[in-house]
Amino acid sequence: MELPVAIIILLIVLIVLALAVFLLATIAELVKINRGLAAALPLVGELVSKTAPVNGVLDAINGTLVTGRDLLEGLALKKAGPDGAGLVESCFPGEGAKFLRRVGASGAVLPIGEDYPRGAAILNSLLGGTAPVPAAGSAPAPAPAASGASPSEAVPGDGRISLRDKPAPAAQEPAEPGRLSAKGARPWESSAPAAEAPAEPGRLTAKGARPWER
Amino acid sequence: MTVLWIMVVVLVVALLLLAKLLSGVLGAARSITPTVTAIGGVAAAGSKDLDAVIALVTTQNYISQVVAGLANYGGSLDVALPDA
Repeated sequence: MELPVAIIILLIVLIVLALAVFLLATIAELVKINRGLAAALPLVGELVSKTAPVNGVLDAINGTLVTGRDLLEGLALKKAGPDGAGLVESCFPGEGAKFLRRVGASGAVLPIGEDYPRGAAILNSLLGGTAPVPAAGSAPAPAPAASGASPSEAVPGDGRISLRDKPAPAAQEPAEPGRLSAKGARPWESSAPAAEAPAEPGRLTAKGARPWER
Repeated sequence: MTVLWIMVVVLVVALLLLAKLLSGVLGAARSITPTVTAIGGVAAAGSKDLDAVIALVTTQNYISQVVAGLANYGGSLDVALPDA
């Protein structure tokens, strides 16, 4: 046998051996991977089964929260009128414009409650008083976001937010600036028509309070 | 004879190339094994963490009660405050 032929045979044997060794090792690793995946598969199935009802529960929670939001928005629209968006904006910045879109209204959103204790301005206005004195060190009232603001959204030069077209009668002004006064502002204390009583006492009805329901 | 020597060279190069390629395949397969094991551990931990999902039902009940109380409170405000 010639030398090159012998070398060729030897190389072919080496190639076959290398193929066998490496492929057997690879097969062993693939078997390990298969076992690992078989062990992980039931755990992934548990994940799927445990997360399956989450969507339904979260949808129900969201539905309940949206119902509550609609109730409160209807109440704000009914009680605060055009200032309802400002009330929402003061509590949840950025939500005033969305509130306006949901109720089908338009106009500028003037946040209230930034210069005064939160809610004090709107409550005082609804009760017939003037805006309370801002807290010391507070920032001036923000300017209206866009033109076309209603007279009730005007901001006087002294930085106070007036939620009414005209100032309340002197008898209804609080004796001490910055204090909330409900005197003479309640239905049973004034000549204003009383709020329509709901069909069921203690229950809120927002029906007819929104533009698209009127 | 020359052709035979050329074949020897080609076979040597093929052997080296084959060894390198098969070594790469084996290394990749060996690197997958610990990853699969880790996936199993993470899935087990995640499945254990998701045992608390059932508390969402309690949360749902609480939220329903809160919204019902909110509606009652709004009803009171509806009566107490004058309309705009």
